[in-house]
Amino acid sequence: MDLQALWLTLRLAATTALVLMAIAVPVAFWITTTRSRWRPLVEALTTLPLLLPPTVLGFYLLVLLGDRTFVGRAFAHWLGHPLAFSFSGLVVGSVIYSLPFAVQPLTAGFHSVDPALIEQARLLGAGRLRLLREILLPLSIRSVVAAAVLCFTHTVGEFGVVLMIGGDIPGATRTLSIAIYDQVQDFSYAAANRTSLLLLAISLVALIALYARQHHQERSRA
Amino acid sequence: MSDRRRLVFTLLLLLSASCLPAQRPAPLSSAPLRIAAAADLQPVLPPILQAFARQTGIRADASYQSSATLATQIINGAPFDLFLAADTSFPQRVIEAGRAEETQPVPYARGTLVLWTRNDSGVPALNPEALTSGAVRSIAIANPEHAPYGRAAQATLEHWHMLNAVRPKLRIAENIAQAAQYADSGNAQVGFISLTSALTPRLKADGHFTPIPPDDHPPILQGAIVVRGAAQSQAAHRFLEFLRTPAIAHTLAAEGLEPAS
Repeated sequence: MDLQALWLTLRLAATTALVLMAIAVPVAFWITTTRSRWRPLVEALTTLPLLLPPTVLGFYLLVLLGDRTFVGRAFAHWLGHPLAFSFSGLVVGSVIYSLPFAVQPLTAGFHSVDPALIEQARLLGAGRLRLLREILLPLSIRSVVAAAVLCFTHTVGEFGVVLMIGGDIPGATRTLSIAIYDQVQDFSYAAANRTSLLLLAISLVALIALYARQHHQERSRA
Repeated sequence: MSDRRRLVFTLLLLLSASCLPAQRPAPLSSAPLRIAAAADLQPVLPPILQAFARQTGIRADASYQSSATLATQIINGAPFDLFLAADTSFPQRVIEAGRAEETQPVPYARGTLVLWTRNDSGVPALNPEALTSGAVRSIAIANPEHAPYGRAAQATLEHWHMLNAVRPKLRIAENIAQAAQYADSGNAQVGFISLTSALTPRLKADGHFTPIPPDDHPPILQGAIVVRGAAQSQAAHRFLEFLRTPAIAHTLAAEGLEPAS
């Protein structure tokens, strides 16, 4: 069993989920509350990673983050190493890849809050931050948790993007899904089965935890 | 309130997990030699890397992918020292992008194409005539567009004047290892696969093969380059020499890769 890959995968998924929550909460809040005519564009852009095949998305990121572009060189200068083929590069790729899985549930959750409530809070003088912190987040807490868990599990199972921008480097970018691919290519089906089972078990436990929690909540509310 | 506490708990859990220290592999020498290796080397290379480490004290890590993916990654700055490709066209592309120390790919091995079938596939005899007969309904080959063994398989079928006749039977795999999987899993009755795959214990146990005469297709020459600006340039050159020493060339031949010359 490739424990190094397991460790790396968990770190990557946790980091990605955290970064995504930090990005997606403000974005979803903006989408929910804005009257700007740019809203459809922003919504479309945050959904776009769902449409591109992951390897294609990975290829574009590879070219963008490589040292042949200004962006890639700027990152390399700033970090001291190229962003692609490093753990931080994987985080950037995973964040883009899983962005819809954070923004969609959050937007849906914020939208489901009674607009009258938001209007009243505004009339009583609540600022945007307070509105988010004391009305939207507490009332759509299930969507927030769902978004975090989805981002985590989606990153655990990510393959195409990591294959392209990772470079399969043990300890830095060889995640569980890449390790499974390697094992299948090598005809080590038994090892691949064991690793896949572990991957499934992790995702299953995370999802059971999520749904059990929701179930518990529903019952305690009823 | 307890809802919020749960959220804080979840976030803290994620935070603590993301802050866990990176696990470092036990170092043998400080910086390993990083090899980008074609997928067909996966069954062959690991023991050679170990022998190299024993002899020189230099640890070498290999990443296995298709030569096309590896070439794209190297051209875009992947931190590899040495590129062992499955043909010479991909190293050539790296050279043209100005990413190689060499001006010509260094041939390090020659691949052998074989025709393979499962013992229970119902194919009576593995010969060219069988492919056009009704007994064979599906043939796995690697994608001739970008896989060297796929190109060789296509050239062979052309040489045998049966490419058009068997075209409806062809099952195109992404790479040569996948072609072997198509055949081994029974999804294709026969397969044009690499000798390196055919000699793995699994495929040896499941089926049998006949080598394709080397004159029936252009040689499958595998080329290498040392990546320009490699951190371990010296070690990379040493490994290339090591690959061509008689003892290692002998090992490679036993696993399905003949010496290049």
